[in-house]
Amino acid sequence: MNLKERFLAKFNGEDVDITPVGSTTTYAVMAFGDSIGKERPEADTDARVMADWAKVPTKLVGWEWVKAMGWDIIPLSEAMGVELGAPTRDTQYFVKGHPYNADNLDDLEFPSDFLQRGRFPDVYGPQIQMLKQEVGDEMVIFGESEGAFTLAANLVGTELFMRWCFKDKGKVARVLEVAKQAAIAAANWAFDQGVDYYVFAEPTSGPALLSPRMYKKIVLPLEQEIVAALKGPAVLHICANTDPVIDMMCDTGVKGISIEEKADMKAAVEKAHAKDVRVFGNVATATTLFNGTPQECYDEARRALENGTDFLCPGCGVAPQSPVENLKQLRKARDDYFGLQSE
Amino acid sequence: MACDKRDELIQALHEGVVEMDEDLVLETANKVLEEGCNVYDAIMNGLAAGMEEVGDLYDQQEYFVPELLMCADALYVGLNVLKPHIDPADLGGRAKGQVVIGTVQGDVHDIGKNIIKMMFEVAGFTVHDLGRDVPLEKFAEEQLRTDSEIVALSAMMTTTMMGMEKVVEMIKAKNPNVKIMLGGAPVTDDVTKLFGADGYAETAGNAVQEAVKMVSQLRKLQD
Repeated sequence: MNLKERFLAKFNGEDVDITPVGSTTTYAVMAFGDSIGKERPEADTDARVMADWAKVPTKLVGWEWVKAMGWDIIPLSEAMGVELGAPTRDTQYFVKGHPYNADNLDDLEFPSDFLQRGRFPDVYGPQIQMLKQEVGDEMVIFGESEGAFTLAANLVGTELFMRWCFKDKGKVARVLEVAKQAAIAAANWAFDQGVDYYVFAEPTSGPALLSPRMYKKIVLPLEQEIVAALKGPAVLHICANTDPVIDMMCDTGVKGISIEEKADMKAAVEKAHAKDVRVFGNVATATTLFNGTPQECYDEARRALENGTDFLCPGCGVAPQSPVENLKQLRKARDDYFGLQSE
Repeated sequence: MACDKRDELIQALHEGVVEMDEDLVLETANKVLEEGCNVYDAIMNGLAAGMEEVGDLYDQQEYFVPELLMCADALYVGLNVLKPHIDPADLGGRAKGQVVIGTVQGDVHDIGKNIIKMMFEVAGFTVHDLGRDVPLEKFAEEQLRTDSEIVALSAMMTTTMMGMEKVVEMIKAKNPNVKIMLGGAPVTDDVTKLFGADGYAETAGNAVQEAVKMVSQLRKLQD
């Protein structure tokens, strides 16, 4: 059984010999770039560099699958015309301005050339082909972007969008309809290109911002509709303490959920498995992988395994300055846990 | 001037903020002026006390960020009516100082920052809001320009959090006595110490709690 077969078997709920280890979130670690003599923003805009970077951790820290579609979670926002700030060596693209507001919302529509915009045609497309050709037989490749709710907030501004959730449901529905089309189009495009699964990162929909009540009312039906329209399996990532929404995350129809260290892994696994959903996570990126000692990283990875994670991963996007020695501890903990010799 | 309806109006302002009822707050704030009640008393024991309860509800996970925003809207409706009528004597000796606040370069998540800003304003601080995606050197420049005692930095992403360390360095090099507060999702007590800052709030909720404590202390001083 190679790495890809093992991953997919586990993803499908079959028993496998060992828990796969890797990342299902972004990993623009500066040391990864240094190892191939590259840095941002080239890694964000050049398909070849993006593909090389994606493969680095499989050699450098022993991860077992690769990420396509770059090192930020704004591919959809970019293609929808959201104003972006430029990446630097240690920061990713970020949302700088919002193209729509109450006054011009009538202009908002899903562009027919959506997939010809942003980095879809010239960067993500070729990058996925390179990864497929170079590691696709051996390893799983996943695509990722922001989810529809987060995209919607990027289009009009989070604060305004949150207010509308209370005051103006008509406007919320209008923005979400377009965001939904964008999310479905992007994920299905990625499946057509050959990714094995697709991650929707939905930081804006998490309990750090939105009440579980509102999640149920607005986000759950939205995600259900999107997931039902996909050509392949999806994973839903939400930041912060997602304990109150784990059940609903699983009810979206996704095949996996990705959670942070603030969430209770053991309880999440129990709930998710009951609904035939796999769990990714949950070693802390800020406190442990960036700021902790290798021993702390090892211990936290071990705890995630003991608590039953299906895929041992960082809990969120990995900080650019995270030390390689810390990142290596995930593999080491996994190998030790299963009585394997670390390579 | 005596104000017979003081307790009733204070209660209505409190309730208006907690229940996100802008109309009730507007109507009551105007009554406060009509009845000649003490405006500062109405702000602190009505509006701010209401926001204290909102902070508690947030902490108990009854309220979330959209609810906080709606309550803040109601609070601002009242503040806009009442603030111009504060008796300067009520503010005598109560100048709380000045705060420079902003979200660091590369980060446009400013909901938490805006909530903290509001709480500082309610507590009587003069707030210099630099907004979001603020160039790092701007914090030190603004601190020097305004001679503010506190600089409050916010970052919601691990990646942008790193900029905070540079800001702390820049400010402390020019003025070691300035207190620097850090806040935002990825920030921890360890990070705060590592970056050489003076204090932090673990989450938006904690930050609100911290700001609420300031309001509470202010109200105690007033009693």
